[in-house]
Amino acid sequence: MNIKQKFQQLKKEGRKAFIAYVPFGFPSIAKTKDILLALQEAGVDIIELGIPFSDPIADGPIIQAATAVALAKGANTKNIISTLKALKPSLKVPLALMTYYNPILQAGVAKFFSQMRQAGACAILTVDLPIDEAHEYRRLAKKYGIETVFFITPVTPKERAKKIIRSASGFLYYISVTGTTGLGKTLSFTSLARHIKQLKLQTELPICVGFGIHTRKQIERVWNFSDGAIVGSGIVKFIADNHSKRNFLNRLKKYVKSLKPD
Amino acid sequence: MALPNNHGYFGNFGGSFIPETLYSCLEELKKAYARAKKDKSFKTNLDYYLKEYAARPTRLYFAKHLSAYLGLKVYLKREDLLHTGAHKINNSLGQALLAKYMGKKRIIAETGAGQHGVSAATVARLFGLSCDVYMGEEDMARQRMNVFRMKILGAKVIPVLSGSKTLKDACSEAIREWVTSVRDTYYLIGSTFGPHPYPMIVRDFQSVIGKEARAQIIQKEKKLPDFLVACVGGGSNAMGLFYNFFKDEKVKFIGVEAGGLSRNLNSASISYGDIGVLHGAKTYVLQDKFGQVKGTHSIAAGLDYPGVGPEHSFYNDSKRGRYVTVKDSEALEGFKMLSELEGIIPALESAHAIYYLKKLAKKNKGALVILCLSGRGDKDLEIVQSYLDAEKRG
Ligand SMILES: Cc1ncc(COP(=O)(O)O)c(C=O)c1O
Repeated sequence: MNIKQKFQQLKKEGRKAFIAYVPFGFPSIAKTKDILLALQEAGVDIIELGIPFSDPIADGPIIQAATAVALAKGANTKNIISTLKALKPSLKVPLALMTYYNPILQAGVAKFFSQMRQAGACAILTVDLPIDEAHEYRRLAKKYGIETVFFITPVTPKERAKKIIRSASGFLYYISVTGTTGLGKTLSFTSLARHIKQLKLQTELPICVGFGIHTRKQIERVWNFSDGAIVGSGIVKFIADNHSKRNFLNRLKKYVKSLKPD
Repeated sequence: MALPNNHGYFGNFGGSFIPETLYSCLEELKKAYARAKKDKSFKTNLDYYLKEYAARPTRLYFAKHLSAYLGLKVYLKREDLLHTGAHKINNSLGQALLAKYMGKKRIIAETGAGQHGVSAATVARLFGLSCDVYMGEEDMARQRMNVFRMKILGAKVIPVLSGSKTLKDACSEAIREWVTSVRDTYYLIGSTFGPHPYPMIVRDFQSVIGKEARAQIIQKEKKLPDFLVACVGGGSNAMGLFYNFFKDEKVKFIGVEAGGLSRNLNSASISYGDIGVLHGAKTYVLQDKFGQVKGTHSIAAGLDYPGVGPEHSFYNDSKRGRYVTVKDSEALEGFKMLSELEGIIPALESAHAIYYLKKLAKKNKGALVILCLSGRGDKDLEIVQSYLDAEKRG
């Protein structure tokens, strides 16, 4: 199933998307495999798999630390592809890759997209690649059948949002706060709701909200006015705190289920 | 055609690779800078502070003994004599006035050697802005005096504990804070790197170096120099010197990068790196084949950075400039050479450029050279002492 089909299915069932972010290679490459399958079993709708980068300028301390571990464990674009290929028969949840631009650039944009597609990824989100720099990237993504998700933020001007909408496919990622990923952010739900309502008038694309979202209550509220909630640092922190405990995968499943509103 | 183009590109390099959150503030900055550039009072104001506060113009000093020793004719552009002790103040004054022009009340800055941090803290005092400086923990340890200076000047110095704990990480952390408080904070970037329009703005504010030097050398020698030599970290003192000579095709540009300890451990992004994207710009970056940025090293904290200003990458690829390396041990020799021959103690960054003159002299006897003496060595005395002690112990 790809992202488009996923959102169609959710719409038909009257549900909203629960999207989980985890960085590849954290706490290890082997455990990432188990974690992805556990997220699938816990009923996650879409998985955002982070490609670790040495200088994650949009990430807060939790994801920074996880990224550093992943890099120390040898995570790279090559073993992400081989890992995903190995998982392909069992991993059915639509997979989006979240990354910074430099690892793609070094792999070669065309080669990267073609290999990622073969490995089963269906969308790409590149944190530091705004639409203005993304012409060739979008052309190649389209060629290889990868959806290009772009970001809209609370400080994005109206005209700019229109352009972003025209450039995006798959879904739109609405960043809830000005700031980095992490916990303990103050979210302003009223202005979020207002802004997203305006965007909804302009596009059929699903709009999902991320950054700072990590409780069931927050997800419930975000679901009221959007098409999905993205949980990153909360899950990463749970993994960091629990991965060496007994029954880790069961705990993870339970935790993820507990976040998901009924 | 004037560079960068509208999208911030110098040929294949530059651009604006930033999280979407920063888009509107960079647009705001572009517009404000275009307005300020046309505004006579902005220029008058900046010129006033450059002259009366920072002590411009700086001298172009004929280094008689060094020249005789090397068989060159060397002039030193004395940025070391500026207030706060390095060229960084040129840029900080310009950008702080720009921040005020934009109505911002708070600036943030990254620093490696602490020279930019000190100049940012200084202008923040001068213009009544609040100032937070991000500095890698390792740099804080090796540049303790500068940390203390910033604190005396009322700036908050925020230790950065991530990554290699040096300039690269300080820069990442400053960007994170900027993304967070984008609505009211001005990011006063310290060199010719970062997303468009920063490389252009910093270049413009530093170009006073070459503008003065060009007039001074013509006055003193009745001709243009054969070579311009400057050290390259992010590239601001070098670009500041080079820029106004761009059209003088016979004047050769030499940028000296930090060769560090070895081919594997250095900060020579153009010489040893590959094209990549770091901190908002496409440029030469020290990285592995998977695009992960490598750890760097230089004896000079101000050169210890895995990227370089995109305009230098452009000069390199278009062959307008030549980029070379000088190792730690050689920079120390340059440091001693200038101190002993001329009675001028250079910053370790500048000492890289000084040492290179020795190599240059081999094939270019009698050549006329302008060297950018980007800063003074006061901040480096402890480091030099520890290296010399280690040398003595063998
Ligand atoms: C004295 C001095 N020279 C040179 C540099 C390197 O910076 P840039 O390449 O931007 O001139 C620094 C940076 O801290 C410095 O303090």
